[in-house]
Amino acid sequence: MDIAVETRALRRVYKTRSQEVVALDGVDLRIGRGERFGVLGPNGAGKTTLIKILVTLLLPSSGAAFVDGLDVVTQFRELRHRIAMVSGGENVGFGMLKVKEQLWMFSQFYGMPSNPAKRRIAELLERLGLSDAADRRVSGLSSGMRQKMNLIRGLITNPRILFLDEPTVALDVGAARDVRDEVRRWMAEDPTRTVILTTHYMMEADELCDRVAIVNRGRIVAQGTPSELKQQVQQNAIVDIQLSPGRRLLDALREVDGVAGASVAEQDGIDRFTLLLSSDAALGGVMRIVEGSGREIRGLQKREPTLEDAFVKLVGRGMAEEEQG
Amino acid sequence: MIATIAQWRGFKAATWLGWEISSNWTRPLMFLIYSVLRPISAAFILVVMYRVISGRAPGTTDYLAFLVSGVAFWSFVQYGFAGLSNGMAEDRGEYRMLKYVYTSPVDFYLYLFGRGLAQLASAVASALIVLVVATIALSLPIDPLRVNYPLLVVGSVLALAAVIGMAMAYGFLQLQAVDAHGYGELGASVLYVISGAIFPITVLPGILATIASLSPLVYWMELIRRSLLGSHAIRMFPTLSDADVLLRLVVTTVATLLLAHLVFSWADRRARRRGLIDMESNW
Amino acid sequence: MSHPSAVRIFLKTIVARAFPRFVGSYRNRTWIVTETLLPLIGTIAMIYVYRALHAPARYLGFVVLGGVLLAFWQNVIWAMATQFFWDRGQGNLELFAMAPTSLAAILLGMALGGAYLSLTRAVTVLIVVSVLFGVAYSTSGILPALGVFILTICALYCLGMLLASVFLFYHREAWHLADALQEPIYFLSGFYFPIRSLGAFVGGVGSLIPLTLGLDAIRQLILPGTPQFIPLHWEIVAVVGQIVLYAVLSQVSLRYLERLARQDARLILRST
Repeated sequence: MDIAVETRALRRVYKTRSQEVVALDGVDLRIGRGERFGVLGPNGAGKTTLIKILVTLLLPSSGAAFVDGLDVVTQFRELRHRIAMVSGGENVGFGMLKVKEQLWMFSQFYGMPSNPAKRRIAELLERLGLSDAADRRVSGLSSGMRQKMNLIRGLITNPRILFLDEPTVALDVGAARDVRDEVRRWMAEDPTRTVILTTHYMMEADELCDRVAIVNRGRIVAQGTPSELKQQVQQNAIVDIQLSPGRRLLDALREVDGVAGASVAEQDGIDRFTLLLSSDAALGGVMRIVEGSGREIRGLQKREPTLEDAFVKLVGRGMAEEEQG
Repeated sequence: MIATIAQWRGFKAATWLGWEISSNWTRPLMFLIYSVLRPISAAFILVVMYRVISGRAPGTTDYLAFLVSGVAFWSFVQYGFAGLSNGMAEDRGEYRMLKYVYTSPVDFYLYLFGRGLAQLASAVASALIVLVVATIALSLPIDPLRVNYPLLVVGSVLALAAVIGMAMAYGFLQLQAVDAHGYGELGASVLYVISGAIFPITVLPGILATIASLSPLVYWMELIRRSLLGSHAIRMFPTLSDADVLLRLVVTTVATLLLAHLVFSWADRRARRRGLIDMESNW
Repeated sequence: MSHPSAVRIFLKTIVARAFPRFVGSYRNRTWIVTETLLPLIGTIAMIYVYRALHAPARYLGFVVLGGVLLAFWQNVIWAMATQFFWDRGQGNLELFAMAPTSLAAILLGMALGGAYLSLTRAVTVLIVVSVLFGVAYSTSGILPALGVFILTICALYCLGMLLASVFLFYHREAWHLADALQEPIYFLSGFYFPIRSLGAFVGGVGSLIPLTLGLDAIRQLILPGTPQFIPLHWEIVAVVGQIVLYAVLSQVSLRYLERLARQDARLILRST
């Protein structure tokens, strides 16, 4: 495999006056050229730290990382010609510049000749449906338009490897779909291009990525194609149960024989439990706990596994619970 | 009663916030140096300017005391006026929290008053240290046992109320601009020229001198010097008694506060009409 | 893999980073008000101090020339040296840092963009205050003074880059320190009085700031009767030496502190 990104025992510790926080703890990754690779995990898992190291903004505490064959620590100047990064929720640049001016400005930091840069900007604005906003000031853009502009900034310089850090965070459904569509289209133009995407949206990783690494608390807990990861829970029965509010049940459910993992999310006043059962027989034990709790069952379905289920199985808890610590 | 307690809590939080924003970035010693370095240097600039022209002729300490006392107490205007009015722009543009404070049940006047008080607290240390250092270094005729404290305190309370009132109104006016960077300092520097802080207002051309005589700050400066320096004070209003100067300070302060209230109310309505309270001023 | 040369990127970066400043100055005209009125009022206040003391006319000239160079000092401090503090808060710094350009080019671009405003401000102070208060200059010294002025500005901007590298690392404390050092710098550089008044030791310390000797040389050239601190030609030599010294130091410091900043995550912190 032609390798685009490789990390070896990558570790990063943030030190403050009072404590040390291990953000990455021995991460080993090999990402092939031409891959759309997803780094999936809850907030605080270490995804952004990983990206910041790979784009040369942050040094690792130990271990090594290579991007496009270059060492991120020592060969960072050459590497910066070959990469670009776009983060979600970015508010960068200068509000009083017009969209096309801001994009031109960033292209100049890469030494692009002005006219080709302007042509490329016009073409990308057209592709992302932003042509009408080319002359609007950046400060007047909606968050969706702003994020599309940020994506264009990342694409103008034609990087070999594009890093997308939560690119669709806080976007509406339509804008998020446009961003994902453009990433697919950009990749399809040249098979040697590589995208590394961090996200905590399971659906996004499932839909967009060829391979995914699940990161939790600074470690990679699993990696593979989305279907490989989902196969890890294929032998399990996935059951969703909706219950009326009541006393805490999650720990009791996890204790039931045959329950491989459980998570809960509250939505519209209803607790939505997801249970990974090693066999259908475990459902009996689950129902006894539910009945004993006095909580009313509002719904119960068995369904196909998702990446979220794989996460629950691998980590033992849901992503939302991990984020809450 | 509950409403009063809520307002008091809002006021306390605003004062605490103002203090934290001014001081939380560093260690206390560093903050002290920061609060002192600027006014001390400003005073020494004037001292050198004065010495270059007048040398060490007899009577020079009276004029130096005039300059030093003006600069020392100017800290209150600098911090109170520029600090508070800039604080409003920062609350909107940098911290993006003005809209939350504005829509909370806490009286907005009270919130701003709290922020202003915190700024004034920073000025106390710098004013005191400038006075002490300059008095010792330049043998100024300031005797702590002979200071007319009641006059100093009454004059200062009135003037600082006027400063905070002006800063609130000016701060709200600033919000009309997309980017109000430097406007606080601009306002403070205009007041500097017409306050008699570093030169008697008699050297100003006619129209400016008239405008200066309508400002409470000029009477405050006069009272500060009279209360600190007694017979050594160089007087900008030699024909006025202490009581006359105080009366003028009271009248101009009341007029300033009324005017500030009118401006504040107008600017408040305009800001709401135009949606300026939560306007993005990032650039 | 071929890519644009470092020189090309450097020059393009300067132009591109100056661009928002140029654009900003006409799209947001409120800046022009503060940029011109603030130094104008500050200068006029100092003029009145001398007026109250019945100082000779050349002292008003000292203040005017101090006010002119003050505009550039403020540009270097607020529009260049401390600018990374704001850029980091906005998230721009990490995009600048991960581009294949140099931070020095970014800084020079900022300075160039800001110099337009500083020049407006300096010319306003020079003309308005000189006309209002009848300050006269020796015409024969104007051209040489312009030469010294350009050298002084070069040295100043090199110092600005050095300070920017320090501020990159120490962020908020450094920003407040720059704020706190405003008046001390005005004092040490003799913005409002001849530097000779400070004596050899304090004047010598003040001479580390490129403005001090440059300003004194300009005053000697166009304001006859200026008390000499050191001979004019030595002042010019010293300013040229400062250009070299601060240029080299700033490059070494930028590289060193950029690495430290990558190590300590200071390029990516967003807190202000």
